[in-house]
Amino acid sequence: MASRGGLTWLMIIVILCNAFAAAAGLALFALAIWVAVDGYKLYPISGVSGKDDIFAGAWIAIFTGFAYFCTCIFGIYAARKQRRSLMLSYLIIMFIIFIFECASCITAATNRDYLVGNSNVVKKQMLQYYAEDSTKGREITKTWNKVMQDVECCGTDSPLDWVEYNSTFRQLYGTTYPWPLNCCKRLSSFEVADSQGCIIGQTSTMFTRGCFTHIESVLSRYTWAVSWYGFSVQMFVFFMLLIAMVYFTQLG
Amino acid sequence: MEVYLVLCFICMLPIPAKSITTVDCKPAINESLAAKITINTVILQQPRCCFDNLTNLPCTSNTCEIWLVPAVDTGLSTFDANKASSAILSLSPYPTAFTGSSPANYFLTKVGLQSDFPCVSPSPGGYFRVGADGACSTTNCNGFLPQGSSPSFKYLLVDSVNKTVLAETKWSDSIALYTLKDPGTLGDGFAGRSGAMVIITTLLSVAAAVLLLFLIVVLALCCCGGKSKGSGSVVGSVMGSFRIPRYDTHHLKDPAPYDNPAYEKERKYTTQDTLPKTKATSAVNPVTQDTIKLQKI
Repeated sequence: MASRGGLTWLMIIVILCNAFAAAAGLALFALAIWVAVDGYKLYPISGVSGKDDIFAGAWIAIFTGFAYFCTCIFGIYAARKQRRSLMLSYLIIMFIIFIFECASCITAATNRDYLVGNSNVVKKQMLQYYAEDSTKGREITKTWNKVMQDVECCGTDSPLDWVEYNSTFRQLYGTTYPWPLNCCKRLSSFEVADSQGCIIGQTSTMFTRGCFTHIESVLSRYTWAVSWYGFSVQMFVFFMLLIAMVYFTQLG
Repeated sequence: MEVYLVLCFICMLPIPAKSITTVDCKPAINESLAAKITINTVILQQPRCCFDNLTNLPCTSNTCEIWLVPAVDTGLSTFDANKASSAILSLSPYPTAFTGSSPANYFLTKVGLQSDFPCVSPSPGGYFRVGADGACSTTNCNGFLPQGSSPSFKYLLVDSVNKTVLAETKWSDSIALYTLKDPGTLGDGFAGRSGAMVIITTLLSVAAAVLLLFLIVVLALCCCGGKSKGSGSVVGSVMGSFRIPRYDTHHLKDPAPYDNPAYEKERKYTTQDTLPKTKATSAVNPVTQDTIKLQKI
């Protein structure tokens, strides 16, 4: 019969979509773990400012990704069993996970805008906390030292940030050094290659580009992983849930 | 009397002093260095080829010294008025150059011998850092410039024996030093919304709202409004109220079980294969419809 055939086709579609959504949810789980692990070690920059919801969004996405995986497998079972009660519970659980994942995507995108929309937040944080002897100061100092050496950069927009603005570093160390020695090129023995050249700013002995482009690109990468990929999973799940609702109404 | 007058006349004759030559050179910042200007130091280019074309000098290039005059505001005119003096090198010591009620606003510091700066430089990247000695206290030390001021510079050729100025360059343009800006002035408020964030927020909010709406509609339709239609959603043209999956048609001589199409997909009833192969019959009990026993009448 056409109705029975139509229902079978709908069941097959629901099952296939659930299988795909389970895989997508597992991928979201893995991607969110990558963000939460923070391989680039830039968490203090967002943590010290109090706006670390990129990572909070990643944690939520870990749970929702895995929940999507489990619930979609349950959905395959519910669709196969063709029981209304199972499909209803599946729909309600999926909707709750959907809401949480929405929150994760939106909050990650919003906090990224606050942190790296322009370089002011990062610059102000660097000037205030670098070389400061507090918990936040030590974290920021460690992070910036690592960034300056790994990425070969100095300052936020340029080394002149250290020269133009007052900073904790300037107050503590006076005007002998215009910028921290981590801005200088080092030999493989980790000694400064030419400290006199670095003090006067010879471009061959120090790093002259700013670190903000790197910080911005890393935080954006984390954000796009959580919010854009989460968004694409959400769109797929949205249409899948519409089909599942239609299937639910067709069940006897 | 006449002798006295002659003596006075001789005294009044101006002693022919050597006038200071002004060469066509202007000190400039060394643009290739990143720390060329800070709050209290400036890095200048070296004075090459400035004094090499002069003749009739009482000193040779090994004994002529090059000195630098940083001067601020009124210091330029003060120095120009005093530059012919034989004690010019110590007239304005560095420690008091910029302090006090009426400071001289200039000081002199030694750069090096003229032979240190030949016209063709053996190695590129020469520079002279004004303020390299920091907060020093000797008369001619290379100390910090006043923070935030706009000094001008002039190189001098000095006779090391007489300590008088033989030649000078022109005044450089005034170079504005940085004043330390407070990082609190960096506005870290609203940095603008990126397009990505707007798209994600609006589409996800709309999707969540639509989903909630449909969920409520579906629940209302199926669980509350359609209880009677709940079981009859299957299109069946047969008598759907008969919940007998298979019954016996009595008018036939050899009754064969009739499969009710309304029950086709219900998997609970027994199939042809599981029914006893004999023509054994049994009564139909609608309550336990899973067990149908055919009855031969």
